[in-house]
Amino acid sequence: MAQGDPRFTRVVSVFGGRHALRPLPEASALVSVARAFTPRVEASAPTPVLLDLSGLGRLWPTPQALGRALLDAAAARAIEAQAALAFSRAAALVLARARPGLTVVPAGGEAAALAPLPLEHLDIGAERLHLFRRWGLRTIGDLARLAPVSLAARFGPEGPRLARLARGEDDGIFVPASLPERFETTLELDWPVDGLEPLAFLLGRVLEPLCASLAARGVKAASLAVELGLADGSTHARALRPIAPSGEARTWRTLVLLDLEAHPPRDAIVRITARAEPSAARATQFSLLDPAQPSPERLAETMARLHAWTAEGRSGSPHLLDTHRPGAFAVSTFAPPPLPRGRREEPLPAPRVALRSFRPPRLAQVLVKGGTPAFVSAAGVRGAVAACAGPWRASGDWWDVAFSREEWDVALAPPPGRASAGIFRLFLDRLRGEWFVEGELD
Amino acid sequence: MSAASLPAAAAPSPAERKRLLEDLLRVRRLQADAPPLRGEDRRLRPLATGLVEVDALLGGGFPRGALSEVHGPASSGRTGVLLALLARTTRCGALAALVDPLDRLDPASMAAAGADLGRLLWLRGPRGASEAPLPKALSEAMAAVGTLAGSGLFDVVALDLAGASHERRRLPTTTWLRLQRLVEGTATAVVLVAEEHAACGPGGATLALDPGAPRWSGPPGPARLLDALAARARAGRHAGRVAAFTLVAV
Repeated sequence: MAQGDPRFTRVVSVFGGRHALRPLPEASALVSVARAFTPRVEASAPTPVLLDLSGLGRLWPTPQALGRALLDAAAARAIEAQAALAFSRAAALVLARARPGLTVVPAGGEAAALAPLPLEHLDIGAERLHLFRRWGLRTIGDLARLAPVSLAARFGPEGPRLARLARGEDDGIFVPASLPERFETTLELDWPVDGLEPLAFLLGRVLEPLCASLAARGVKAASLAVELGLADGSTHARALRPIAPSGEARTWRTLVLLDLEAHPPRDAIVRITARAEPSAARATQFSLLDPAQPSPERLAETMARLHAWTAEGRSGSPHLLDTHRPGAFAVSTFAPPPLPRGRREEPLPAPRVALRSFRPPRLAQVLVKGGTPAFVSAAGVRGAVAACAGPWRASGDWWDVAFSREEWDVALAPPPGRASAGIFRLFLDRLRGEWFVEGELD
Repeated sequence: MSAASLPAAAAPSPAERKRLLEDLLRVRRLQADAPPLRGEDRRLRPLATGLVEVDALLGGGFPRGALSEVHGPASSGRTGVLLALLARTTRCGALAALVDPLDRLDPASMAAAGADLGRLLWLRGPRGASEAPLPKALSEAMAAVGTLAGSGLFDVVALDLAGASHERRRLPTTTWLRLQRLVEGTATAVVLVAEEHAACGPGGATLALDPGAPRWSGPPGPARLLDALAARARAGRHAGRVAAFTLVAV
């Protein structure tokens, strides 16, 4: 059949209907039959199912052959369905419900095909159907023959819509349902594999087609679930979620291997299944003047190599908490944000003295003379106080009305020949009556 | 002169436009605060700390592709210099990493130095490491520095070993050679902070710090504050050049 055959242009089929003789085996059964013919399927589960058959003229000699194949495919799955092929969605919907078997309507023949059908087949509601019967209308053709202007005078904007429906003209558009996205690859091994080195090659065979299918859809994998079927019959499941989606098989293979190094399976592997969760591909506008931003794949690999630190929550970006409590901070996952515009115009503050914290603060013995510390003794910190500044009272806790923390900066007296023995921050916990060394000022 | 008498402005030719654009980019590149241009060989630009005296002493900053060190006793300004370097690097949009096996970093000090904390990767030692550093923590830290330096993602990878002199001496001497080999030819500067000279690569910088007297805001009393910390820096393996610098405390 020639390409672009007019018999297949804008053909819409309705499949199934209220005259289906038996309940469907499952709600999606008819949809899966329809998807075997075209990916453009509009479904109101379980029925009716609409198919956009545009372009199928290259595959099927006639619309009748296509319709018959549809019914045969449904019958093969024990579904007694009805189908109608028409050039309008509205006509196909009504005809598939009203006529058994297969109905094929030629282009422009929608009104004629609908005309002999009883009005009950139109989806217009019981109240309106009763009214039309009182008017003496029995068939869809009777309604189609009424002047749209007269219907508009009686029903408002609904009147012309009813007239169009009776003539089989479309009022809505075909809205295909998106295909369920499932990215999964399984490899059954002929013999069990033990060890990560041979597994690396096999992972490549699983992950490369998986990433190719992701790339074909223009998406990347936000996470990857790997299930390893083991020789003892159990399954070793791992889930990986790097900081940025990736569509590179090499990166995923490295991440999986690094993860399996840390969490090895307890037996030889007989089956590998990889399942990706798709995510929209990242679109980044690079700048001519800003430094190149890190590749998310390489960053994910690097963080995976630092597994010993990340697993124990000992790595990440620090950020300060919104509190006055001294030393309050949290560490979050390292995910560098995009470069803020104009940030580099802000001047940097002058280089400052930094605190080298002791965590936890070191318990100290402090000799106080004249209200100021005179001698400090703690683990690694010992000496007479040469100079000090303080005290300042601090607390970040609203219930602590006494401001229980009293801070001092003390410079210890240097030994002969040295300019300094260190400057330390001390604090007195007034509630416990104990001194602590918080850190060294450096 | 009236507008009518002005000669008609000719549109610049493509070659002229290209030359103007290159001039503009060159000027931008010469600005001290400008980040390196995309595609520019970043290995040519040392990493400045923002401390004018120290940068002048180091010939512009810490060299890339080499192992450098900052060493000095307590309160000599080692951490202040390191945080200034990390702050300047992250504020330019680059990434920096700090491996801190003794868990001594104070994030408030880091933020006060002006760092973009979201661009800093902090690897902390185990809980209580500042009390008694474990040899295992140190070897883990060295492995992490190798991973970070080899990734090519970070402009600065700093390793803070101040306070772990005893454990550091137990590390095999080949550790530093391996690290230097790893970072050679990359755009990453590895900076080691220690209490005394530990290691420095052939192209790296050694910055030895000596503490000066602290400066207080006034006479002893309740309103007194630590005003600044003065220190003296010596650069080079044989400490030939000397400069004094100050870190503000208030």
